[in-house]
Amino acid sequence: MSLPRITHLPSGRLLSTILHHQLLLPSIIPLTVPKRAVIQGEYRRPGQPKKTKFAWQKINFNFSKGLEAIKKHFTLLKKEFTDRWVGPEGKPIVEHMLEQNRVVWEFRGPESLREWTVSSDREIGGHSEAYLKLGRNNNTCFLYGTLSSTPPRDGETRYSGYCTMRSKQPLASFDRKKHHDWSSFNTLQLRVRGDGRPWMINVSAETYFSHQKDDIYCYFLYTRGGPYWQDVKIPFSKFFLTHRGRVQDDQHPVWLDKVNTIGFTLGDKADGPFQLEIDFIGVCKDYAHTEEFAYEAYKRNPEV
Amino acid sequence: NPYILAILLFGLGLGTTITFASSHWLLAWMGLEMNTLAIIPLMTQHHHPRAVEATTKYFLTQATAAATLLFASVTNAWLTGQWEIQQITHPLPSTMITLALALKIGLAPLHAWLPEVLQGLDLTTGLILSTWQKLAPFALILQLQPSNSTLLIILGLTSTLIGGWGGLNQTQLRKILAYSSIAHLGWMILVLQFSPSITLLTLLTYFIMTFSTFLVFKLNKSTNINTLAMSWTKAPALTALTPLILLSLGGLPPLTGFMPKWLILQELTKQGLAPTATLAALSALLSLYFYLRLSYAMTLTISPNNLTGSTPWRLPST
Repeated sequence: MSLPRITHLPSGRLLSTILHHQLLLPSIIPLTVPKRAVIQGEYRRPGQPKKTKFAWQKINFNFSKGLEAIKKHFTLLKKEFTDRWVGPEGKPIVEHMLEQNRVVWEFRGPESLREWTVSSDREIGGHSEAYLKLGRNNNTCFLYGTLSSTPPRDGETRYSGYCTMRSKQPLASFDRKKHHDWSSFNTLQLRVRGDGRPWMINVSAETYFSHQKDDIYCYFLYTRGGPYWQDVKIPFSKFFLTHRGRVQDDQHPVWLDKVNTIGFTLGDKADGPFQLEIDFIGVCKDYAHTEEFAYEAYKRNPEV
Repeated sequence: NPYILAILLFGLGLGTTITFASSHWLLAWMGLEMNTLAIIPLMTQHHHPRAVEATTKYFLTQATAAATLLFASVTNAWLTGQWEIQQITHPLPSTMITLALALKIGLAPLHAWLPEVLQGLDLTTGLILSTWQKLAPFALILQLQPSNSTLLIILGLTSTLIGGWGGLNQTQLRKILAYSSIAHLGWMILVLQFSPSITLLTLLTYFIMTFSTFLVFKLNKSTNINTLAMSWTKAPALTALTPLILLSLGGLPPLTGFMPKWLILQELTKQGLAPTATLAALSALLSLYFYLRLSYAMTLTISPNNLTGSTPWRLPST
């Protein structure tokens, strides 16, 4: 017995016109496929881009990029396995014991800029701008822009005007998190050339398991303007704990065995252009620095 | 606060004692829970995020193990009608209890929490965790009559291998001691079904060696290899003798640490498990490598330093 003839399905174009026809009724909604954000009226912070696509529409399948990614991740995995035979962090133990200085970030080519993320208060709707490029002779990184402390008009923000540059989280093979292990060092050394503004250095350690995601250890970087380079050495014992920018009462020294990112923030309330040039960022072990922590710990239940 | 410290330490002691003295599974479980709960405030006393992280991880794993233990004992009570510790004969509860106790003490493949947890703690609490907290689960393990010898051999061999392999590239001393704990526990479990007295002997010698190692690190206030390399300035006599402890942990004859390994290998061979014995002995080489590396860093080399003045041990202590 032959199968009954399948009724002729309406073509796709016909279906889309039906959809448009249904949407023509409320004329304020634009003539596109309905989005949850639009229909349910999600609040969008001024400065965030409009959500016009669903999540699955943003996927971009690309075979060659996929192949490159596979190659990259497997190379990293092989490197991890072979490094294990050499020693901790891929260096022989003798080198690890003798290591006194280590340059962690050095800006010698465009690929070094890809390890850094630059953001400003434009994300919340402010008017500051920040850009990162390589300095002269491809030898330094140059962070520049304009600060503007006009708060965005969203009714809830009172202050504004900040720019920041933060290093990206180091990743092992297959995008797993890796940490910087600076436990054999005790000083941060930078070579910078600023414009006299006071910057803040933020070191962020691993906080995934302790549920304190915005815990950042900060210290100041006072730049002296001028054509001369400035060598800055800050011991890690001077970094104090803040959470979302507020200094905490219960202070403790930063543990250096799982450092995730380092960042530079400018938030002085002076509008106008700014510049910061960084030559390198390194860590060193200063044997003469024996201070463990520069601040006293908050005393709970003090005796009165 | 000394009162709170006294309460917590008393709780720790009581928990272990209750587990030792119990013949009912529920009482044994209670002792284990008391141990967990009493050590939690000790672990977070420094309010550091890493300490909190270590405590959270420890609590979650120990709670899981305790829940599995309770479930297994209840299943056994349901299936056999009695709560005796020594009468777990049904294979399902027996396997679950072995796995739960393996998670409690940190045997591979349930070992992933131990290095991170030990790393987040200070040395004293780490010492308590490594030594005292293993007594109560071992009291229960020793009383089990394992019907599944394959599981125990697999646990033991995996532990020795992972303990040796994982500790190879560590520079943090607490993580090294965690991996050494995993390896030693593996050795203990290997011989459990043949001769529990050798297990007990290995446990006690491990306690003594780990206790002394932790105390040496405490004295030098060192938590990584580079600071340990400075210990010759602080206590030269101790620095000269510490390789004895470390190599004893590694199981080198004629030091004491060799004795349990020798007895275990002899017992395994007598039971016809010569390949297992060979594999265990070979994986002991891996852990011996990192103990040897620690002694190299500490005693056999003088690290670069700029001590132009006197070394700390020469200065009069107040």
